[in-house]
Amino acid sequence: MGQVMFIVWRESVEALLVVGILHAWLANPDHGAKRGLPYLWAGVALGIAAAVGLGAALVGFTEVLSGDAQDYFQTAMVLVACALIVQMVFWMKRNGRTLKRDMESSLQKNHDQGTWWGVLVLVALAIAREGSETAIFLYGLGFGQGGSVPASMWLAVAIGFVLALLTFWLLQLGGKIFSWRLFFRVTEIMLLFLAAGLLESGLDRLISLELVPTLVDQLWDTSAILDDASPFGSLVATLTGYRAHPSGMNLLVYAVYWLFMWVLLKRASAPAKQVKAA
Amino acid sequence: MTAVVVTLFALGGPSLARADDLPTFKLEMNNGKLNPVRIEVPAGKRIKIEVHNTGTNAVEFESLQLRKEKVLAPGAQSFVVIAPLQPGEYKFFDDFHQQAQGVIVAR
Repeated sequence: MGQVMFIVWRESVEALLVVGILHAWLANPDHGAKRGLPYLWAGVALGIAAAVGLGAALVGFTEVLSGDAQDYFQTAMVLVACALIVQMVFWMKRNGRTLKRDMESSLQKNHDQGTWWGVLVLVALAIAREGSETAIFLYGLGFGQGGSVPASMWLAVAIGFVLALLTFWLLQLGGKIFSWRLFFRVTEIMLLFLAAGLLESGLDRLISLELVPTLVDQLWDTSAILDDASPFGSLVATLTGYRAHPSGMNLLVYAVYWLFMWVLLKRASAPAKQVKAA
Repeated sequence: MTAVVVTLFALGGPSLARADDLPTFKLEMNNGKLNPVRIEVPAGKRIKIEVHNTGTNAVEFESLQLRKEKVLAPGAQSFVVIAPLQPGEYKFFDDFHQQAQGVIVAR
């Protein structure tokens, strides 16, 4: 439930960031662009509809598929969710800085040409992107894998969204309490850990389907310190990929994952340093 | 000891025994209650656990130790096949109702 809340929170803040930038620009009387506002809201609605459609399709797939096919499908989706999270973190790292400027110059162009359909498409794509990522991440966390979604999960989604509104509002106050940069830095590390958790859970499924060997069945047993079958331990397992009884393959994949992330992070922050130095 | 190893090889080797021929154990999950809480199974044998969700909430049979995860809608039933186990205790739980903790004992 905590994981569901976190994902909805972070994705909603990103979507709100996009809508917020566009809304602030359009609603600014200096730009005389108020006519663009309905297009903005239509884009939001379209984007949400696309995301909900994808979510329903995922649950529908699960209902239709039976036995092994369902296991393969769910394993694939867990791994897709992991890859998407990693891709998203690095996309935001690259484009987050220029996101506002890019969108505003695109708005100016729309305004000059007197067409607002571009706004609609821009927003619809942005919301559909965040929304469909949310749908896939939540599915990867077990959401809807039984072909339906329990009420407690909807509650987690609602809380996550309310928290996002609150966070967005706090961030809008202009860095007095905490800043966008800090927000993205902290949540991107948490997301990379969550992706590691999804990777390990996907790997466990592959091992369980006997597609991947364990190498060593059980390297050690740390269940006395932190038991991954306890409520807190299983939360840690989902959020970090922790295993109390890791197999050789679990450990190997985990090490390779973080090595890979370390290289990517170093690469992603390198150009920023150059800019600062210049 | 040798006997156990031989049995493990004999069963683990082909590893594609049909799910319906396996020793089967029933597990009922009902809104966070497990029945039974303790399942005794033979060690060194592939086994099948039939999971029934008799409750009104979705449940998730999960065991990181056994590398199994299965989400079941209310009223649904399914099964998990577990590879031959070493003698010992293996914990499982309902990921949607985490107070529900059970154990599979292999001897």
